[in-house]
Amino acid sequence: MSFFNESINNSSFSRRKFLAAAGGGFGSLALSNLLMADGAKKSLNGGIHHPAKVKRVIQLFMTGGASPMDTFDYKPELARLHGQKLGPKEKGEGFTAPFGAIMKSPFEFKQYGQRGQWVSSVFPHQAKLVDDMTFLMAMKSKTNVHGPGTFMMNSGFLLPGFPCMGSWISYALGSLSDNLPAFVVLPDPKGLPYNQKAPFSSGFLPAIHQGTVIDAEKSVPDLFPEEEFKFASKDTDKEGLDLLEKINRSHAGKTADDGLLNSRIKSYELAAKMQLSAPDIFDLSKESKATIDLYGIGEKVTDDYGRRCLLARRLIENGTRFVQVWSGPQGTKDNWDNHGSIIKELPPVAASVDKPIAGLLMDLKARGLLEDTLLIWTTEFGRTPFAQGSVGRDHNGGTFVTWLAGAGVKPGISYGKSDEWAYQTLEGTTYCYDFHATILHLLGIDHEKLSVRQNGIDRRLTDVHGHVIKEILT
Amino acid sequence: MRVKIKIESIGRLAILILLSLQSGLFADNAKFFESKVLPLLKSKCYKCHSHESGKMKGGLTLDSRTGWEQGGSTGRAVIPGNAEKSLLIKSVRRLDEDLEMPPKKPLTDEEIQILVKWVNDGAYDPRKVDESKMVQAPDTEWWSLRPIKKPTVPKIAGVENPIDAFVLAKLKEKGLKPSEQADRRVLMRRLMDSLHGLPPTPEALAKFINDPDKNAYEKLVDSLLSSPRYGERWARHWLDTVHFADSHGCEHDVFRPNAWPFRDYVINSFNSDVSWSRFIKEQLAADYFFPDEAQLTPALGFISAGPLETSRAGTAPITFDYLDRDDMVSQTMMAFNSTTASCARCHDHKFDPVSQEDYYALQAVFAGVGKGEIEYDLDQKIAQKRSKWQRYSKAVKKNDPQVLNEPEVVALVRQGKEKIEDNTYVWQQLQSTQYKSEHGQQFNVQEDGSILVSGNTPEKDIYTISGDLKFARLGSFRLTVMPHASLPKQGPGRCGNGNLHLSEIELQVLEPGASQSISLKVHKAAADWNQEGWHINHTLDKKTESAWGIFPKVGQQHSAVFELEKPYILKPGSKVSVVLKQLHGGSHVIGRFKLEFTEAFNMDFFLPQEILAVIRTPENTRNAQQKAVLNSYLFKGIVEKELAQLPPTSKVYGASSLWSHAKKMEEPIKPKIVHVLKRGDIDKPGKVAIPGAISSLKNLPDRFELDPNANEAQRRAALADWLAHKDNPLTWRSIVNRVWHYHFGKGICKSTNDFGRMGSEPSHPELLDWLAVWFRDEAKGSLKELHKLIVTSETFKQISKVDSSDKGISVDQANSLLYRMNQKRLDAETFRDSVLQISGRLDLTMGGPGIKQFVERKGPQATPSLNYYEYDWSKPEAARRSVYRVVWRGIQDPFMEALDFPDMALLASKRENSVSPLQSLVLYNNKFVLYHCQVTAERLKKESNDLNQQVSRAVDLIWLRNPTQQEQSLFSQYAAKHGLEALCRVLLNSNEFLMVD
Repeated sequence: MSFFNESINNSSFSRRKFLAAAGGGFGSLALSNLLMADGAKKSLNGGIHHPAKVKRVIQLFMTGGASPMDTFDYKPELARLHGQKLGPKEKGEGFTAPFGAIMKSPFEFKQYGQRGQWVSSVFPHQAKLVDDMTFLMAMKSKTNVHGPGTFMMNSGFLLPGFPCMGSWISYALGSLSDNLPAFVVLPDPKGLPYNQKAPFSSGFLPAIHQGTVIDAEKSVPDLFPEEEFKFASKDTDKEGLDLLEKINRSHAGKTADDGLLNSRIKSYELAAKMQLSAPDIFDLSKESKATIDLYGIGEKVTDDYGRRCLLARRLIENGTRFVQVWSGPQGTKDNWDNHGSIIKELPPVAASVDKPIAGLLMDLKARGLLEDTLLIWTTEFGRTPFAQGSVGRDHNGGTFVTWLAGAGVKPGISYGKSDEWAYQTLEGTTYCYDFHATILHLLGIDHEKLSVRQNGIDRRLTDVHGHVIKEILT
Repeated sequence: MRVKIKIESIGRLAILILLSLQSGLFADNAKFFESKVLPLLKSKCYKCHSHESGKMKGGLTLDSRTGWEQGGSTGRAVIPGNAEKSLLIKSVRRLDEDLEMPPKKPLTDEEIQILVKWVNDGAYDPRKVDESKMVQAPDTEWWSLRPIKKPTVPKIAGVENPIDAFVLAKLKEKGLKPSEQADRRVLMRRLMDSLHGLPPTPEALAKFINDPDKNAYEKLVDSLLSSPRYGERWARHWLDTVHFADSHGCEHDVFRPNAWPFRDYVINSFNSDVSWSRFIKEQLAADYFFPDEAQLTPALGFISAGPLETSRAGTAPITFDYLDRDDMVSQTMMAFNSTTASCARCHDHKFDPVSQEDYYALQAVFAGVGKGEIEYDLDQKIAQKRSKWQRYSKAVKKNDPQVLNEPEVVALVRQGKEKIEDNTYVWQQLQSTQYKSEHGQQFNVQEDGSILVSGNTPEKDIYTISGDLKFARLGSFRLTVMPHASLPKQGPGRCGNGNLHLSEIELQVLEPGASQSISLKVHKAAADWNQEGWHINHTLDKKTESAWGIFPKVGQQHSAVFELEKPYILKPGSKVSVVLKQLHGGSHVIGRFKLEFTEAFNMDFFLPQEILAVIRTPENTRNAQQKAVLNSYLFKGIVEKELAQLPPTSKVYGASSLWSHAKKMEEPIKPKIVHVLKRGDIDKPGKVAIPGAISSLKNLPDRFELDPNANEAQRRAALADWLAHKDNPLTWRSIVNRVWHYHFGKGICKSTNDFGRMGSEPSHPELLDWLAVWFRDEAKGSLKELHKLIVTSETFKQISKVDSSDKGISVDQANSLLYRMNQKRLDAETFRDSVLQISGRLDLTMGGPGIKQFVERKGPQATPSLNYYEYDWSKPEAARRSVYRVVWRGIQDPFMEALDFPDMALLASKRENSVSPLQSLVLYNNKFVLYHCQVTAERLKKESNDLNQQVSRAVDLIWLRNPTQQEQSLFSQYAAKHGLEALCRVLLNSNEFLMVD
């Protein structure tokens, strides 16, 4: 946030005092501003440890555990062994039910793109764009349970209380402008994901770094007063803020300040700027018909996710650093947790996101945003190659698929491999630690250096693990 | 498979090389070690495994013989003469995914062979640890672990309060002087913020300012400490410290309707100034120490304060147990000892002397409890009565002959119930029967006339069974569901768990010649077993979503009898049909069943087979078990009635041996076996842990010598004794530092939760120790005495705002030496409560269930959806103090969060003081603030008709002073144009209100 750059240049609020204030625990600083204040880090292109290739990230999160062998991880072996009881006999720790017989994918797979990436019929739109995507085919989780799995993919820990990736990025880099929060979350209007708002928590990082949860219809919460308060109309707002600044300045007077008083004065100026610019960003009517159609907005199936994808683009264009767009609420319906029937449950949820995601990727590319933006498609774990009941699949942390597209990653390649059943990873196993380390790396952050001491431990997003996946970097 | 092949091939290779390199001369060994092995260890291993680097990853050092002999958390590293069994060799060969060393760049084959030869030749190693190079070796000489001795108070003329003496002595060393004393307005606001979390009213402030008594300040301190507002303020600090909330958190963030008694317990404990050692004992083991004081049961809410990951309770029970206990251990050791014990979960603590065994010893303390609702009676007489009838109730459930044949029971049974009649009824099955399944299931008649269902299992189904009956009248009928080997879990249902759900049952008769059937009304039903929440009566309630079920008693036969409202005369040739509607879904359909009819009506409604068997046995030949079965049957109703007549129990969400895996048990569980887990991995259990605590404190035992058969509460009690012991230096330092932190905004040791090497060192170590000893010995653990000593010190009374030219600014920017007081921002609760008080509507009602300040709707699964923005602030309970609001762990109030209310998944003993544009937007626009601007404006208008007076009063209420002339005119102008509400909104956002000087 240039909030602090300005503050630092402000003579009444010296850099030294600011640093002291920061050391005293004043939360909203981004590390980058602290470092950038030296004026010598321009060469890092916004990174804090090495040059950044990515400036902003949009993460698409498929709640429930998207099935790899029914989407991107083609397994002909399953068709050969279909119906045979070959899985473990005992229910393992973390599975919800005993394993059924091997189940082939009910969907047709075809090869796409120059490399011939397999994609099933549930993703016809994304299939056309595989040459722009980088696949991690052997992601692995330490759990088969939704709550811990969702935490793991967001914060790198199985338990609540740790900052998620968006919070770490906000903490490290701040927002790209004063107009918007650095980290925005667009949950599914049908409900929050597993663990409610905890996957967007800033944990022990200051509250400013937690995901600002936005109802796509309603813009930033508390951006404006509710209409029932007539005295707080837009006209009176401006004069009120002027008066507030006047009394705050006179209150600060000439006494020594820890930084808090001035920071608070500044924060109201920034709040006013946000009020001025944010409403426009949420107004999708400014988009062309072609763009609206590209995202599937106005079509019943894709309207909601399309709107949120488009909003994500508008947010990152205007300064938000990290946006999450969630597909599916927690629970047993309308999400990717297809226990009952892959054939009945997967196609509708896949259709609801496929065109919007493809639209977003094409739109980012067309606008040149992909040159410094990273788009990532994730889920909390995969599903078993064995049937649950007769036609569903149970949770499986053994292997799943993630893809990335955009700045800094080699397009059209795939990294890692699962075994012949897509039950476990085989080569290039990628844990969330490696995945997070790679994303931080692209943003110019060394995951081993970004740490905060909390209750006796120097905490990192990647705990004590993580390797940057060099093979996929440009 | 692949891995195995790898092991074998390398093994063979190693043997070959071993043969070729085998040699044995000592001189050769020494030379080989110095020239080949040592350089390799130094360059490849020392970085993470040596004293000189200060790193002992996995607890292993490789810079001495002792280092590899003792080994790390995975065991001894080198076994001389046996490379194959040496972990060092295994790990450089990278045979085990979890043990690949060095982690990044593997050794070359040549390097590996050097190590193999060295080990196989006997692992010659003359090295000893060079003590001088030891850095950061965990030791017991660290400041927080040393036994506390009371330091001498520096003698400074005219200084009475020892706190001031210690602080002044430090200031003098740095050439600094303390700041002047703040005026009474600042002092009273500061004091009330510290002790009550509320501002003074203008009236109370005026009274204090005008009090001529030279002890006016001390009088004020006493009166504030004796007000119940004090307990409400300080309880919240403790609730933060122990991450207390009213819901589980995690995936299924379910409400805990009875968590609040713990919150009230904490408030009451602070208000009644329970001594610190007693406070510790009550929270860890009130049931053990104070068995006759049922009112202390809520104290056990301490152990269960944190989150609960119920999604793992069923699917990953072992993981669940270890994690749940981890939360209890972390919280207990952090809250009472400022020790980060959980760092030793996977390996010995890297920085502090906490071994992995210590950690699992602490886990073993909590091995006998789970989290859940505890029921208790405040009245001892009721408690005794309940326990008597509960004993009978258990005996009835188990047909326990010992209890049920006790003379008292026999007497009670005799008075209670007339004799059971042995009515033998004639039952008959339908003839020429036809069966129909709506979803095409197949029916196969078995030898006993029962029907076995097969074919594709549908989600739901309706069976219709029709046939002839040879009775003249129809009185009742019986449905028997039966097990069969072909059914899941032996049935009798076709659902995966063997269950079934019968939603509705209907009986119809088609008389000969009639075109339509007549429905006969069934008015009573009884079953030998009802699943909890799935009673047989549901089959008669005309609701398809409720049903009769039999889980978990699957794999056995169950019967249900249905009686008609009145007997029905059957015309010959009538067709009788029974419709079994099974509409709940999830394949809860019946797998095998039998239908029988009888003419009997008004029968002794339902006598289980086993009772019939008993009453058909002559009374004098019945054995003890048979008598017990009969008594149980007759006694059941009496017991139920007696229990129902008792007043309802009190409930608190706490820790109890009646809970395991988030389920309530019939009997207390036996403490679970806790293993020392290698690398914290449940798949690598090491030796069994015995209850204990950390071993680095002198004068205190590290393991509790308990009788293995002792009541589990003894384990908790032993830990409580260990923590509350006068020789535990951590306990006394921890609490006085916490109290200091809340008064000054910073602790003497800044890391209030971590007194280890990763934490801070105290700015005034002697002061901290002096306070700890004084608090323990002289104040006898009284927090109120401690507060009084602190807030009456001159150090506390200094001004916080000094001129920017003040020398302290340049010498001690962070004010570590306390040459002035620290400024504080109102925290979330204090802001809210202050606004409520200013508006005149603060409701000081204490205690009771939490206030839900949100609109609650059903969520997609167990967790509801909460909307805080829609809450109606005009509700009367909205005016209660913030400590009484419901804190939903995973769905927090965005307003409170914006003001740094912490994530209650964390042990959050400190609040942030963040500033951000989003926070400003919330303070400026949130409904809570705007609504109370209106209420405040109404109050002002009620008190005066004059705008200038209204404005002046607003300033007095919010800023606790009169406006300057300039302010008066500016504000009156603004209020005239935009309204008093708008003025209040500006003032409530001002720094003068938000900041406490």
